[in-house]
This record gives sequence, C-alpha cells and structure tokens, in this order.
Amino acid sequence: MTFHQFAYRNVIRNIRIYAAFFMASFFSVFVFFIYSMLMFHPATENGFLGNVPILWMVIAEIILVLFSWFFIFYSMKAFLEARAKEFAILLHLGMERRQLSKLIFLETIIIGSISIVLGIIFGFSFSKFFFMIVREILLLEDLPLYLSWEPFLLTIAVYLSAFIFISLFCFHFAPEKQIIDVFNGPKSIEVKVDYTKNKAILGIIFIVFSYCLALLTTRGTFEIFSVLIPIFITLGTYYFFAHTTQYFFARVKGKKNLYWKKSRMLPIAEQTFIFKNNGKMFFIMTMVSTLAFLSIGLLAAFSSYTSQYDKLNPLGLIYKGHIDNPYEHKHIQSIVSELEHKGLSYQLTQFTVLKQTSSFTNYGVEVFSESDINSLLISYGYPLINLSEGEGMFIPYSEDSIKKLSNRTVNTVLVENNVPIRIDQVYPKLIFPRTIVGLNAIIISDEDFKKLVHPYNGVPDVEPGYHLYTFDIPQWIEANEVGFAIQQKVAKEYLKDEYHLPYYFENAGLNYSYLLSTYSLLTLVGLLVAAVFLLAGGSFIYFKLHTNLEADKKKFDVLKRMGISHSELKSLVTKHLMPQFFLPWGVALFHSLFAFFTLQNLLRDFANISIVKEVVISFVLLILLQLIYFYLIRWRYLAHVRD
Amino acid sequence: MPILQVKDVTKVYEGKVTNRALNQLSFDVEQGEFLAVMGPSGSGKSTLLNLISTIDRPTSGEIIFNDMKPQSLSPNELAYFRRRELGFVFQDFNLLPMLTVEENIILPLTLDQKPVEMMEERLENLAKRLDLTSFLHKRPNEISGGQAQKVAIARALIHEPTIILADEPTGNLDSNNSREVLELLSKINKEKRATIIMVTHDPIAASFCDRVLFIKDGEFFNEIHRDDRRQTFFQRILNVLSLLGGGQVGDLSSIRLP
Repeated sequence: MTFHQFAYRNVIRNIRIYAAFFMASFFSVFVFFIYSMLMFHPATENGFLGNVPILWMVIAEIILVLFSWFFIFYSMKAFLEARAKEFAILLHLGMERRQLSKLIFLETIIIGSISIVLGIIFGFSFSKFFFMIVREILLLEDLPLYLSWEPFLLTIAVYLSAFIFISLFCFHFAPEKQIIDVFNGPKSIEVKVDYTKNKAILGIIFIVFSYCLALLTTRGTFEIFSVLIPIFITLGTYYFFAHTTQYFFARVKGKKNLYWKKSRMLPIAEQTFIFKNNGKMFFIMTMVSTLAFLSIGLLAAFSSYTSQYDKLNPLGLIYKGHIDNPYEHKHIQSIVSELEHKGLSYQLTQFTVLKQTSSFTNYGVEVFSESDINSLLISYGYPLINLSEGEGMFIPYSEDSIKKLSNRTVNTVLVENNVPIRIDQVYPKLIFPRTIVGLNAIIISDEDFKKLVHPYNGVPDVEPGYHLYTFDIPQWIEANEVGFAIQQKVAKEYLKDEYHLPYYFENAGLNYSYLLSTYSLLTLVGLLVAAVFLLAGGSFIYFKLHTNLEADKKKFDVLKRMGISHSELKSLVTKHLMPQFFLPWGVALFHSLFAFFTLQNLLRDFANISIVKEVVISFVLLILLQLIYFYLIRWRYLAHVRD
Repeated sequence: MPILQVKDVTKVYEGKVTNRALNQLSFDVEQGEFLAVMGPSGSGKSTLLNLISTIDRPTSGEIIFNDMKPQSLSPNELAYFRRRELGFVFQDFNLLPMLTVEENIILPLTLDQKPVEMMEERLENLAKRLDLTSFLHKRPNEISGGQAQKVAIARALIHEPTIILADEPTGNLDSNNSREVLELLSKINKEKRATIIMVTHDPIAASFCDRVLFIKDGEFFNEIHRDDRRQTFFQRILNVLSLLGGGQVGDLSSIRLP
C-alpha cells in the first residue's frame, strides 16, 4: 500500500467520519455555483435581470467567497480536532509531521474534489429550478438555462485554491501537542472566572438602552440613532454572551435550593461550560443571524409593498397643473397620443380643484365637485356618490384615515364664498394616491361648487386651485414609458431646493419599475446573504457538537451506568442542546424584531404600509425552520449518545 | 439468604466471531460480604460486572437480587433500580469534569430528585467520614488520583445502595493511594455492612476481601476465603493465580511419568 493509497482508503472507508466536513464543503460549492450561474447568465450582460446592477451581484459573490472560506476553515479545524486521536496513533507509529501534513493535504484534496464535482453537478441540475424562482420573483419573461465554461471555472478555481490553502494553513498553525496529551484526552477544563459583574450588568443595560432608542426612533432622530443603535447592540450582545450569561449561572449556582433541586444541577453546570467556552462564537452567531433575519424581513416587507402598490396607486398616470399652466394643453395632447400610439386603453378624467378657507380650521381646504369625482369613480367601477346642497364628504388620504374620518362630523363654512357645508361622511375607498391630494380634501355637490366664484384668500401667494388630469389605465405597468420627457423634467426640478414648475406628473408604472428593480436587487443579494448566514449559523453548532461528541458520549456512558432512564436522557440532551440552539438565535430574533418595529414606525410616516404581517410570517417560518433543525440534530445526537 | 444469586449465567456475544464470554457461572453473594472477582484478561470479569450492573443481559441463566429479577424489568425500571440499589466505582474514576467534587458526589441524588436538605446532610456525613472536606469545592482535574477515587467512592455511597460494584478501583493508583482506597472500602464494608463486589487484577487488592472468586475463560475456576492473616491469604491468592497461569492444570506432570 503506497502513501497515496493509504490516504485514499482513509477517506473512502471512513466516509461516515468525513461526512460532516464533506457536507459543509458540498453545500457551499452548491450555493456558490448556482449563484455564479446567475452571475454569468447571458441575460445579465445585456442588462436584463430586472435591472440588477452587476456590481452588487459581484459584491455579494465576494462576500460569499470570503464567508465560505471562513466556513471551510472552521469546519476543517473542528474536523481535525475530532480526529486528533487518530493522528496521535499515526505519530506514535512513527509518522513524521511532514508526512502527516501531506496525508491531511491529500485527504482534503480528495474530499474537496469530490465535493466540488458533486456540488457542481447538483448545482447545475438545480440551476434551472433556481432560475425559475428568480424569474418569478423578478417578473422576467424568460431566463433560460445555458452552458458556459465561466461558472465552472470560477467555482473550481475558488474552491480548489480554498482547499489547498486551508489544508496547509490549518495544519501548520495548529498548536503542536504532545502525543501523550492527545491520548489522555482533554483533561483540564478552564475553571478560572473571567466575567465581571459590572460588565454583566452593562450588557443588559446596553441592550435595553438600544431597544428603547429603537422604540423612540422618529424620522428626525433616525440618522443619529441608526449609528448609535448598532454600536450599542453589538457591545451589549458581546457583554451579554461573555459576561451576563456567566454572571447569571454563577448566581444560580450560589443558591443551592435552586441549583440542586430536581435534576437541574447537571444541565446548569454543563451550560456554564458551554457558554464559557463558546461565548464569543455565540456572539458572532447572534450578529450573523440578526443580519440574516433583517435581510429576510426586509425582503418580506418590500414584497408586501410591491404587492400593495397598485392598491395604493390606483391611477396609471396623473398630471397636475396650475390653473394657468401654459403647458397643460400640449402635455395632455402628447400623453394621449403616446397612449394611443401604444394601443393602451385609458379613461381620462379632468378635475378642477379649488382651494377655499374652512372656517372650522382656518386653513385651506381642497374642494372637488361631485360630478368630477363621479366620472373617475365610473372608470374605477366604484360606487358613485350623491350629495345634496350643503352636504360634504371627506376624501381619504390613506387606508387608516378612512376609519378615522368616518366618525367625524364637521360643520364648516367656506369663508370666501360663504357656503355652509356639513361634512359627515367619508368615501370608503382610496381614490387618489396620497402625494397628489392634500390632507384636507372634500367633495361637495355641484350646486355648491358653482357658488365658489371668489378665489382663495391667499392669492396670489398661493395658487387658487389646480387642474388634475387622471388616466385610469388597466394595463398601467405597460404605460411606464408614457410621458417620460415630462417625468424627467419633474424629476430634475425635484432635486432643486424649491419646486417651480407649474405642473407635476406621476407615472405609477415607471415608479413601479424603479421599485421593482430595487426589490430585485435586494432579493438576490438578501436571499443569498440570508441563506449563507443561516447555513453558517447552524453549522457552527453542528461542528461544535461533532467535535465534543466523544467527550459527551463518555459522560452519558457514566450516567447510563448510574441509572438514567430513556426519557431522562432525552430531557437531559434537550436541556443540553436547547440553550446553544435557541439563545443566540432568540437574541437575534429580538434584535431584529425591534429593528422592524423601528422600520414600521418610519414606514408609517411616509409610505403608510404595514409590514407586520410579512415580518410575522417570515419569522414564523424561520422559527419552524430552526425547530426542524433542532429536532434533526437532537435525533442524530441521541442516536450517537445511546449506543 | 444471599443478597445476590448468579445462577448458571451464560453470555454469548454474537457477531462475525461468536464469543462465549461466560459459561454456566454460578455463585452467591451474602449481605455484607466483600467479594473479589479475579481472573486473567479476557476471562469474563468485566462481562460479569456488566451483567450484574444490569446494563447487559445474560444469554441464559438468571441473576437475582434479593428475590427480584432485574431481567424482567422494563428499561426505565432498570434505570431506577440501578440508581437506587447499585453504586459504581470505576478504574478511571469517571468524575464529570464540569461538576465540582461535592456536585459529583450528590449527582445520584439529583438524578433521583431528592430534597436538597437530604443531599446536604448526607454529603456532610460522608465528607467527614471519608475525609473529603478540604477539597469539596475543587474540580476533579485539580485533585490527585487517590482523592478522585475517594470522591468516586463517596458518589457510590451517597444513595446508600444495596451493592457496590467496583471495577479495578486501584488500577490507576499508586501503592499508597491504593492502600488507602482499599482500607476505605473494607472499612465501609465493616462499619456499614455494605456489600461490595470488586473486579481486580491485583492480588494485593484482592487480599483485602473476605472471599476471592477466580474465573477462567468464563467458567468458575476456584474460590478461597479469607483467614486471620492477610499475608497468608495473599500467598494463597498468588498460589491460585499461578495455577491459573499454568496451561495444563490437572494433567499429570511429565516428570512423574516413568
């Protein structure tokens, strides 16, 4: 048997020992390859792919590479640690360290090559499926499978070099242990106290403080708080895992009535050690999971915003101009002809909106006439309204405002023309998007509207009213290029300090396409980041358990001999695994919950959408996923411990 | 009435190579007896101990504790039986490294969810008697081997078991510590009339016992009882051991043949 054969047989005949390391490598190759397939897709070069900038995808890919390097490095280290005894036997038999490093190198290359090949094969067979998902998310027409050498070459190059470097690096930087120490096993366990009470309390204070900041965030304080909160959360989380948990366990241990009672002693003593030895890893896991949760939640929120978009923006095109707007005729002409050129059906409604002073508030109020509104309602297919003289109706500016305004009754006089109005109802649906109509907008009967001959008191400083042209277009997404020139001028004017154009134009389709491309980018980058981070977070625990399995097995053997029933063993294992699975993860969940609470507050301010449902759904899914993972690992762990 | 009866116990390990570890072995252990089981490597000592500690089942024959047959118990009942009726002392101590000495000692009681007052009371008594008070709050890796084995003995005693099973308790100790541990065991045996079954290789350790049972290749070989002097008892143990080592025991020596 030659040396190479020895390495080969080592891997092939002990495939069970190598399985964990193999799976870790395989999975990162798999994800990486699929993503490369997307990145090198011919459609991306032509700038399709939902307008996702290629730069962002490259950055995401680089993050992925760095992370998977770290990931392989970590699993390799855990793997070598678990096999320390085997290596000690080889050294004992007289193998040189140089030969051992060569052996590890050969083995790693064998496993690495197998996982690269399998990862690419699986990746390629799943890439059509992935493309289909991406196509659905990004609303692309077609995203065909293709064959090109680039993704293959990139994946092989990245991972082969990773395996070569890491296998050399890992062994040479591993501390050189005496063979005898390896044989005797890890005897010494750190016993020194390394927490301080102050830092333990500080950890809690920092976390609570940043939660409070998050709750208090408003648009004004957002900029400062968005810097402060991450700093405090990071510090707080670090102290929490390095000090607070230790302090907590020490306090519990001090109370014998609590600590010795029932069968608590063993699990608590175990957790003390787990948290003492892995505090820093748990901290990293928490931060990584928080990032993953945030990207998933953001995605969900964004997708809800896009799906609610047409409800919030019922009109395809809106043109709003001053009453004396000189471009009015020309612009409307061009929009109409563009629409007709494209063959899109539309319903044009013209409004004349007058501004009046309300005696009730002493502020301006925008007044619409009943017949103008009705002609728009006809095109929507909404119920019409019928107002008699002296009656008025609120126009809601958001979904929430419908409820608020429905209970309000206002008796007011339109001061300029002395027209008394009693407003006691609200139109039960959104008619205009909120940017177009002011917060104070009412509908009055045509008879009353005719009486409004005197202009608004604020004239000439304030416009006395405006003309509004609304185009209700059933296929509004396709109208995204209509009026593009006008939109450009409006957009340019918007960047200036003051808005001087006598008109304003909004194309819902165009806005939607911008929104969609941002969303697509977030989806691709966010999904990837979340997937990789979740995977990594889970694997860290797995490798930690894998490394300690032998020692744990010995412990359970003693307990079994002493007499411990199956159910007690099970509950002991559950108590052993539960905190390391759910504490870092639960803290991350809390962090992201507060982050979303802040986000919801901010969103309510300007977009008026609720992300509660989406966040709750995605978090429930995450919890389910984690539970499944927990039970899976517990099942394997129990099987190992029992025999 | 014997406290433990081993009746015609046979244990066969099935596998690629079938191995008969014990063959029709029978003996009794009386209440308060200190029994040593000796035999060369592979004679089935550890198998016997595993069978008595109920973590393994005999292929045929039965083991009876105080008129009760553990073989008929369910796995859960067996676990309760072990932690109430049996105490274990191991060769490599098997103290749990994350627990302090006192926590290791009370471990069997916490597994059984006994009240804290009871734990404290018994711990105090035992610590005084076994002289453990000075290192109760240390960790197992901060104490010497002899101390660790004393802690393990305290752990085996804290729940006041019917039988204490010791598997080579002096295997990892130097002669001084060995003697201390053995004297401790025989003191417990005398004072508390605790029944102890000890598996050992070491004739010195065996000479502290009341009776030594020799097995060879899974079968009963010989049995000797202690007399007044430990020295002569030790000598007799050595004699039996040398017989055990000889290949053709019972055969005629070639010198005696014409």
